[in-house]
Amino acid sequence: MIGALDQESRPRLDWPQIIAVLLLLAIGAAFIHSATSSNEVFTNRAWYRQPSLWHLIYGGLGLSIAGILCWIDYRQIARWAIVAYWGSILLLLAVFVMGKEVYGAKRWIGIGPAQVQPSEFAKIGFIFMMAHYLSRPLEELRQPRIFWRALGLMALPFVLILKEPDLGSALLLLPVCLGMLWAAGTPPRWILQLVGAAALIVSLILVDVLYAPPQWQFKLKDYQKRRLMVYFGIDFAANAPASERTRLRREQRAHSYNVEQALISVGSGGWFGKGWNQGQQITLGYLPRAVSHNDFIFSVIAEEKGFLGSVVVLSLYSVVLFTGIRTAAQSRDRLGRLLAVGVVTLIFSQVFINIGMNIRIMPVTGVPLPLLSSGGSSVLCSLIAAGLLQNIHLYRRNY
Amino acid sequence: MLIFDQLRKDDPQLRTLTALVLGGITVLLAGLWYVQVISSKRFVDNQRAQAYRTVRVPAARGKILDRNGHAFADNNPNYRINLYLEELPRLFKEEWRRIKPARPLSREERLSLESVARFNVVSNLYTHLGQVIGQPIAMSFAEFSEHYNTQPALPLTLANHLTALQIARFQEQPTISPGLDLEVQPMRFYLYGTTAAHLLGYLRRDNQSREGEEADYDFRLPDYRGKIGIERAFDSTLCGRAGMKSVLVNNLGYRQSESAWIDSEPGTNVVLTIDLNIQRVAERGLQAALNYTRGAVVVMDCRDGDILALASAPAFDPNRFIPHISREDWEALSDPKMRPQINRAIQENYAPGSIFKIITAMACLESGLDPDRIQYNPGYIHVGRRRPIHDLAPPGDYDFKKAFIFSSNTYFISNGMYAGADRILELSRRLHLGETAGIPLPGQETTGILPKPGEAPIIWHEGDTANLCIGQGQVAVTPLQMAVMTAAIANGGSVLWPRLIDRLVPQDPFRVSQPWVFKKAQVRDHLGVSKRTLDLVRDAMRADVEERGTGKAAHIAGYTVCGKTGTAQVTDPTGKVTDHTTWFVSFAPYEDPKYAVVVMVESGASGGGTCAPIARQVFEALRQRDMATPTASGTPPLVKPVSAIVAKSTRSEG
Repeated sequence: MIGALDQESRPRLDWPQIIAVLLLLAIGAAFIHSATSSNEVFTNRAWYRQPSLWHLIYGGLGLSIAGILCWIDYRQIARWAIVAYWGSILLLLAVFVMGKEVYGAKRWIGIGPAQVQPSEFAKIGFIFMMAHYLSRPLEELRQPRIFWRALGLMALPFVLILKEPDLGSALLLLPVCLGMLWAAGTPPRWILQLVGAAALIVSLILVDVLYAPPQWQFKLKDYQKRRLMVYFGIDFAANAPASERTRLRREQRAHSYNVEQALISVGSGGWFGKGWNQGQQITLGYLPRAVSHNDFIFSVIAEEKGFLGSVVVLSLYSVVLFTGIRTAAQSRDRLGRLLAVGVVTLIFSQVFINIGMNIRIMPVTGVPLPLLSSGGSSVLCSLIAAGLLQNIHLYRRNY
Repeated sequence: MLIFDQLRKDDPQLRTLTALVLGGITVLLAGLWYVQVISSKRFVDNQRAQAYRTVRVPAARGKILDRNGHAFADNNPNYRINLYLEELPRLFKEEWRRIKPARPLSREERLSLESVARFNVVSNLYTHLGQVIGQPIAMSFAEFSEHYNTQPALPLTLANHLTALQIARFQEQPTISPGLDLEVQPMRFYLYGTTAAHLLGYLRRDNQSREGEEADYDFRLPDYRGKIGIERAFDSTLCGRAGMKSVLVNNLGYRQSESAWIDSEPGTNVVLTIDLNIQRVAERGLQAALNYTRGAVVVMDCRDGDILALASAPAFDPNRFIPHISREDWEALSDPKMRPQINRAIQENYAPGSIFKIITAMACLESGLDPDRIQYNPGYIHVGRRRPIHDLAPPGDYDFKKAFIFSSNTYFISNGMYAGADRILELSRRLHLGETAGIPLPGQETTGILPKPGEAPIIWHEGDTANLCIGQGQVAVTPLQMAVMTAAIANGGSVLWPRLIDRLVPQDPFRVSQPWVFKKAQVRDHLGVSKRTLDLVRDAMRADVEERGTGKAAHIAGYTVCGKTGTAQVTDPTGKVTDHTTWFVSFAPYEDPKYAVVVMVESGASGGGTCAPIARQVFEALRQRDMATPTASGTPPLVKPVSAIVAKSTRSEG
């Protein structure tokens, strides 16, 4: 009896989840290698500057941070939630001052040789803050004041990220916020109203952007608008004068190019794919080399490993997500539960948006695929989030 | 299980979350299933369509051979240096960095500077390579841009027709540049230059697909099409079947790899009845006759209609048309007086003049002329109210043979008018004058002129009949038609179809298909004159050469040549004599006629003086040929044994 209790109380890691995470990390490194091995920009670099190696290095770094975090009870870490949140807000503000401009957007801060993407860290900070803020008695959650403040907590980083501009990352905060409000026990009516209002605003904006005369349109960046038009299959040249038509048609082809090439990659993979390092879309350069190893890494995997490879990747994500939900269910308090739900919705939203845009059920946004896409900040934050899940799992019973 | 545990638990919020996640993943799986499994084929096709280019690869053209297997037209290896552009982007980039100005550039400026950078790289390479092979080569900016913009996946040919020395020099320095490659391509080559040029014809650059062939190619390698002569007539036989290769290209249009999808099938060889040696003797004879000879020689086997030589002068060199003919060459070919492109053996109408007296003679003899009757010739003849027709034969007494060998106008006009124009025309029609002789050289053969039965009488005067008797006026022939006539007299009255093509033989000796052989000795018509008449004409022709007649220059000791000379007047529209066409028609040997030789020279001195010596040279060559090969028509079997063996062995295996 006592032995059984003892066994129950001993801290235990969630091994299936850890294995899934490690596998995803390894798959990521392998296919980043495949995506960059025929790209002159990368092959000209020394071996220690290869993105696939750095993926593993960031992976190792992320795992260490996650491991260190597991030594400390998440409740103690959560005391720093306010600091983490405002720290990330400061970083987001710093982007405007000292950010590095790439393709007309400021999303990165250079720290020494490395580049930090504050919006990634802001997601973690936001999850901490929300979990911390919503960990209160149910009665309080029924007060509109709390609800509005929670929305305000989301609005601040949302607006800052939107201003970078990085619409994709900003929009990610929305499902995370909704998921956490829902899990906290906020009255469903409010959430439904919020979802309804958001849907209404989004559809109004869409209609406005896509169909309204130019002087009435909501101001979006040109490329954002074009991405939306590509996604909804709207002819760029529909209302254009004849003189402009060919130019706009050409522009449309150029803009829908990434999406179409990604779709061809995924589709031509078939059942079993063409084999690792055999993807023609990459070796021939049809899949743009600037994005194939980060935002479009999934199309590389899908082309080279086919439908079976896609199923494997989705299964690994499922393991992470469902063990995460189990962690939420087994957690000892509301804080743990909310943190776990935040992490799960974050990972799920990223997976859904990213894979969705590869098969054209979602518009193109710069959302990385957690653990697979190349990119230090993204890998670090994904591993910190996974470490958080382990932490909650470890300290679910602290007798 | 993990998922269903969550769904069962009494935790509505997490249950909803689980359901949402499950739903999302299901949607993704369904989407992936649709894209990767259901519509995979469409995307594979899309990928192929955007990444593959098809290239038409012309087949090696069939050879044109003489009857003994000597190749008139063959394919030579053309060694050339090709540049594969996909090896150069790094050099392009370096050059671009070098010439790039520091200031920011507009898109147009950048694009044009990039193309300048590319051209700099390639033109440096040209200069360098030119130094290595010791021959200056260059390419214009426009030519390079054209190639780069339209077919970057195909190699750029830097140098063509390399000599052995140049190949050696090139291979000594393999590190001139990446992307250079030595390549061999079959290239049409006419071994004997101008020999039989009119007959062989020439090729013009034409990359288009042939009938019944895949028409949709992205790129085409250079190909040629026969424009005239055998090259045109048998183009579809000679050209074989073009192959197809596919080139995998990357997004910049550079070649990634290539593979052959359909191998080309080499064209079929065409074997002519021409004998190379006889043809060359005839051409040499023609060339030596005058300073700039315009004339023709036809040599025909009297027994089976085989054309052994079909020469026309002046000739051109069909090699000049490959890869394309220069402007100067083309102007020379268009000279209005020499007209080298005209095949004078079949393509021009000539007044036959005195050689037509052979037909007149036959008509007279058939209508009862006594060859031994003596007739006085005053040296001229009056016909109707015209001024007298002058007779080159001296005044005196003439019987048939004497009149024939001195070619007396008086004798043949008076007797011919007695026999009547209808008889002469009837005989001419049996010889199919006024019709093509029927050799397969489309666009080259003319019919000659002969009044047709219903047409003649309308404005037919006695003077016309008189003219007809001596081969002037309303009658015109080609040398080939005269050869058919001579052969008919020599062989006992059979008017043969001339035979120019012996057979079609697949280039690949292991192809089981049998060669297509054209039938020999196809009789078109019969003269329908008595043996006595033919014997008399043959005797007279023998006498013309043997007994100090006009054709004595064709005499060969120990080889009896029979002939008839002719000198026809060429008149302008007002009736003034402007030129002469000289003729010599002949056959030999008298005892057992084998060959008919017809020589025609424009602006010659006389048939006997200009044409007969050429005929003699041809007969001497023919005589040697007969002595060398015991079988007169000696055609060595070319492929029959091989194909027979192959056929047998495949049967035994089966």
